[in-house]
Amino acid sequence: MKRRLASVTAVALASALALAACSSGTGTTASSVAASTDGKGKTITLWLAGGDTPDALRTYLKTEFHKETKGTLVIQQQDWSDIVTKLTTALPDKNNTPDVTEMGNTQSPTFTNVGAFLDISDMYKELGGSNLLQSFVAAGKVDGKNYTLPYYFGSRYVFYRKDVWAKAGITSVPTTLDQFNTDVAMIASKNPDNIQDFSGFYLGGQDWRDGISWIFANGGDIAKQEGGKWVATLDSAATQKGLKQLQAIYQNASDAPNDAKDSNQYIYINDDDSIAGATASDAATPVSLAAATIMAPGWAHWSIGTKGTDAKGAVTRTWDDATYGVFPLPGNDGKPAPVFAGGSNIGISAKSKNPGLAKTLLKIMFGKTYQEMLGKNGLGPANSKYVSSLGSDEFATALTDSASNSKLTPAAPGWASVESSSTLEEFFSKIKDSTDLEALAKEYDAKLNPLLNGK
Amino acid sequence: MSVVAVRKRKIVFTPYFLLIPAVAILALAMGYPLVWQLVTSTEKFGLAQQFGQPPVFVGLGNYIALASDPYMWTVIGRSLLFCFAAAALTMVIGVLVALLMRAVNRVVRVILQISMLLAWAMPVVAAMTVWNWLFDWRRGVVNWVLSALGLPFQNHNWLQDPLSFYLVALIIVVWMSVPFVAFSIFAGLTQVSGEVLEAAQMDGATPRQRFFHIIVPIIRPVLSIVLLLQVIWDLRVFTQIRLLQDAGSIASETNLLGTYIYQLGTGSGDFGTASAVSIFVLLLTIAISAFYVRSLLKEDES
Amino acid sequence: MSGLDTRAASRRATRPATVILAIIGIAVALVWIFPVYWMVNSAFLPNVVLQSQTPTFVPLGGSFTNFATVIGGGTFLPALGMSLAIAVIVVACCLLFAFLAALAISRFRFRGRKGFVLAILFIQMLPAEGLFIAQYKLMASVNLLNTVLGVSIIYIAAVVPFTIWMLRGFVAGIPAELEEAAMVDGLSRTQAFLRITFPLLAPGLVASGVYAFLQSWNEFTVALVVLQDNSAETLPLWLRGFIQASQSHAIDWGQVMAASTLVALPVIIFFLFVQGRMTSGLVSGAVKG
Repeated sequence: MKRRLASVTAVALASALALAACSSGTGTTASSVAASTDGKGKTITLWLAGGDTPDALRTYLKTEFHKETKGTLVIQQQDWSDIVTKLTTALPDKNNTPDVTEMGNTQSPTFTNVGAFLDISDMYKELGGSNLLQSFVAAGKVDGKNYTLPYYFGSRYVFYRKDVWAKAGITSVPTTLDQFNTDVAMIASKNPDNIQDFSGFYLGGQDWRDGISWIFANGGDIAKQEGGKWVATLDSAATQKGLKQLQAIYQNASDAPNDAKDSNQYIYINDDDSIAGATASDAATPVSLAAATIMAPGWAHWSIGTKGTDAKGAVTRTWDDATYGVFPLPGNDGKPAPVFAGGSNIGISAKSKNPGLAKTLLKIMFGKTYQEMLGKNGLGPANSKYVSSLGSDEFATALTDSASNSKLTPAAPGWASVESSSTLEEFFSKIKDSTDLEALAKEYDAKLNPLLNGK
Repeated sequence: MSVVAVRKRKIVFTPYFLLIPAVAILALAMGYPLVWQLVTSTEKFGLAQQFGQPPVFVGLGNYIALASDPYMWTVIGRSLLFCFAAAALTMVIGVLVALLMRAVNRVVRVILQISMLLAWAMPVVAAMTVWNWLFDWRRGVVNWVLSALGLPFQNHNWLQDPLSFYLVALIIVVWMSVPFVAFSIFAGLTQVSGEVLEAAQMDGATPRQRFFHIIVPIIRPVLSIVLLLQVIWDLRVFTQIRLLQDAGSIASETNLLGTYIYQLGTGSGDFGTASAVSIFVLLLTIAISAFYVRSLLKEDES
Repeated sequence: MSGLDTRAASRRATRPATVILAIIGIAVALVWIFPVYWMVNSAFLPNVVLQSQTPTFVPLGGSFTNFATVIGGGTFLPALGMSLAIAVIVVACCLLFAFLAALAISRFRFRGRKGFVLAILFIQMLPAEGLFIAQYKLMASVNLLNTVLGVSIIYIAAVVPFTIWMLRGFVAGIPAELEEAAMVDGLSRTQAFLRITFPLLAPGLVASGVYAFLQSWNEFTVALVVLQDNSAETLPLWLRGFIQASQSHAIDWGQVMAASTLVALPVIIFFLFVQGRMTSGLVSGAVKG
């Protein structure tokens, strides 16, 4: 699941807003079509991205849809890394378009701005209205009309090894960002299990989606709007303060390579990857445990824990409270540090031949039962009324706490080009070895400015 | 099958009939995409156009924008270097392996052929998974072996530095391409008669002379087309670079033409510029191979 | 340069030379097979052993568990069927179309010949990374999305130019007089073709056939675009989906490698089949003949 945010960007977003400048939202005219329940003999298709929606939820959607409309719902799963390609080709094709599709939240503007989706403003209230996660709603809105709505959300928080932290002499979770920075540097220097290339806090050199929190927490940002233009602000005082802390982490706490990305961080805090029988202190057989702490999207917790296999022989991970713990990255103001929000939006294709039936499907998906099913499976429900369904375990708490202070990317017209050109990845990869952070920031501000404004 | 007889008639329709299936399928599957690409390269064609907005004709605008972008030239330079290095290495190793297949006894030849074939048969996605893993900075076998030899390669990151990134890419690309070259040339070598070589040897021809004066002229058609293909493929190598970039490295420092087109088109939704780069690559390839294609044709005429 | 010796020559060469060549041959074979070996080795090992920093070179105590898990998933066999159907169509059509075209350009001089030769050369020079929208539109317009036929048509067009060039060399290398002479000796034209021309063509057909098979077997990008339906997956799409699904729960390398091995297996079987049938038997006969 952790692939989501990586792929959302890695695979690239078309220059949505840039294009909007010359096209402006041209979704179909405010849909007069009402939700329909006459689906006898008809089939509609739903595209889901990746395997994040569990099978039980898919089955529920199919049976519920059939119950309400007598129609058939076909669910196709598309890989996260290919979904942009597939949406680009299939959505404009009325004979092969999915009727309803999921997409990454930052991919949504790309497609809503070129008129790929049906205007569903008339359903907005019915589907949850102001209870829906507003930053995601905004990502699906053009000229005041709703084209896509949130499907579920996730957030980033810290995963740590209680055992390693304790061996390094730290027994309480840090409550400020400064404390966190000091703690992870100390754990790295103590390296209690004497592991080669050990990280107190593993932060990939190109992992700007996690690293950005240090900029946010110090009041900085990537860019701001000034007199109708977007200006990159990597060299602002606040951003620089965050960058300095980040550089200290890269130099003293993290041993991740400069080109490591926002993916798979969790493999560095699992330690059962060792040869059976070997112990952590046995220097002759190093184990794969390489980090005491990582930061990752919440769904990474499915990939962390003691390894086992299920009845089919597939790998499972069993979380162990004695060994692992989570907490939201603390800020310096008593609140959690701002993090990057992750998740999905969902919309009806403008070319759908059965918009009425598609609307019925949306109603099912935004209904209480389905929203609560999402929550029970650890996916943040779109409708805040049902967030309690996430439960009250540590993951749910960390998720809701960190999400309470989450941010999306700047709404600059050329944001998609920033992501597809990997400019921020490149900038972050150079922080560790930079001798002049300000000059580096200025250099990349100059690269970002034309991209942000769509040239 | 009546080619032999037909050849002697005055007006020949047979060759046209023979060409019908090949021409038909090429026109069907390649004609439209080629035209689309040409037309698109002269338009401002983004995602909005894909979703039905009328495209704006910009003439050579996309080409001019590209020609004035220094990054484009950097990528072209890198791609040419990589292409020549990979194609030359592949050809030399491929020819040597083919000759080796011929020179060794049957058992060794079958072993050699099977190992080449297995390498060739490995699905690209799988091969890249294994290679990424062999060069993995923490658990890679390559680092393990080098460290075991006493070299300071424990946890060495191969993909971070562009030069060593290209070295890894070169090894992988050559490894993947050699089997095809070796098999094609080995097939060509079967047309070289052993008796002729033996006769030449008895007349005192050195192995070098025998290779360049007897073997090369006979296998020249295969040799030339295989070399041309290697140049074409290596100039726009995509999958291997893309999957290596997924594993590590900083994309803008390691882009080649293939990944650059992908980044422009699928990545930024700028299909006009991406098409212009594609057409440019086509022209570049034609330019590189022009001399060579001409000699190929001349040879063909004679 | 010792590698330039012919078999005939090496027969008479001194013993040490033969041994050295054999050693070189084995060494090269080992280098090329290592990644393949590593894939198969890993397929037999449980993930726990794989993730260790000390590699395990021999799968002692390995098992078929990974293979069973992969096949038990239920999506492998349909994808295998899809890929086989495409490969059969591509290889058959390609060899036939290319053989006919190769005859045309190597045995005839006709108007437009040069244009055709140039066209098939240049057509391969167009980078495919920018073509996917056009390919999708093409297939959608003729209603062949998500079909074996649709994807086969694109593959044949991609492989046929090379195959024509390859076979052209072989056809040109066979003097037409051979066939004529055989006919003078009383063979029918078909017999003359089958007994004289075809065996000489066999190595070219095998090489081209293997090439066409592998291209269609491994192709990924076109398949991704024109086969969007989950029920119409080819093996590379399936493998990639498998890897991505595995990544969402801490990648299980053993299973991924088992899946990769399963994808590679049919190709090996195919080659062993044609290799045994043609390369060794007919070719050596042809060369000596």
